[in-house]
Amino acid sequence: MLSDPGVPVSDDADLVRRAQAGDLGAFEELVRRHQRGLFSYLYRMCRNTSDAEEMAQAAMVKAWEKLGSFRGASSFKTWLYRIGTNLCFNLRTRRKPTEELDETMGAPDAERPEAAFRQKVREERVRAALACLPEDQRAALVLSVYQDMSYKEIAETIGKTVRAVDSLLFRAKSNVRKALAEDRAKGVI
Amino acid sequence: MVSKTSMNCGQVRRLLPPFLDEELSGGMRQKIASHLASCPTCRTEVEALKADMGLLEQVGTPEVSPFLVTRVMAEIRQRENRSPQGFARLVRGLAAALVVAVSIGAGVFFGSGLAQASSTVAANSIEAEVSYVESSAADMYRLMSGGD
Repeated sequence: MLSDPGVPVSDDADLVRRAQAGDLGAFEELVRRHQRGLFSYLYRMCRNTSDAEEMAQAAMVKAWEKLGSFRGASSFKTWLYRIGTNLCFNLRTRRKPTEELDETMGAPDAERPEAAFRQKVREERVRAALACLPEDQRAALVLSVYQDMSYKEIAETIGKTVRAVDSLLFRAKSNVRKALAEDRAKGVI
Repeated sequence: MVSKTSMNCGQVRRLLPPFLDEELSGGMRQKIASHLASCPTCRTEVEALKADMGLLEQVGTPEVSPFLVTRVMAEIRQRENRSPQGFARLVRGLAAALVVAVSIGAGVFFGSGLAQASSTVAANSIEAEVSYVESSAADMYRLMSGGD
């Protein structure tokens, strides 16, 4: 949504204050701002569109309900993502992740079908390498690579220390590289 | 031989992720940069790590549903109406509306009553005045006519 150039844009902290005072419109703006990033993070965690949307919705509703207890020690974003992370980690005990058709590839490149196919295979192997990681490693890696979070922000989001995040990221990157090296050795990518 | 201040390949490779993520302090960054400047094997490792992380960055996600915001806000409004806090807010709103309605009604009622009372007092005053003038005129008539 384009904002009116004449209207000053509120930052998250201001919107949170207004929402805590009962302003639903301010909370709706927060939802609008963070919906895509939160959905994207949760999709990379569970690899299922409907599960990711369901969790994103549940996380945002829970954020509204718990907003009174938010004191601003972390940013609203990391607090919201932490709620999403907890929902995601809890879901694994109830459900196994399901495979679904790759919805991100769009129409195949008619002029270069072979290149498009190779790219699709490469992306699928990267997704598979991510999917094989333990959940805490995957969460740390996804937040670092795709959400551009600092180690401190990742630590706040997944409830670990900065040192633990450093260790998780080292192991996650090593594991992904090992899986990709195996695919290269097999000639898959 | 590795000096006390320099780092070996194993130490450097362990720190390559935070080095590339710019999470290290200036002194540590400097030590790693010095090692990389003199170690082609570790430089190759840095390039390989960057390339693999680059592959990760290329992988997209589906677009989020355009109705997600609507669904979230609808669920919140529904819960608000059902929750004790939401009910309390509703009751407070109704109570406020009731107070306003009662105030307006009372104003209208008492306003017209006051007007009626005022006109009654005025009418009584006029009647008294008329009665006083009539009795005064009768007294004067009696004095002029010499009667008692």
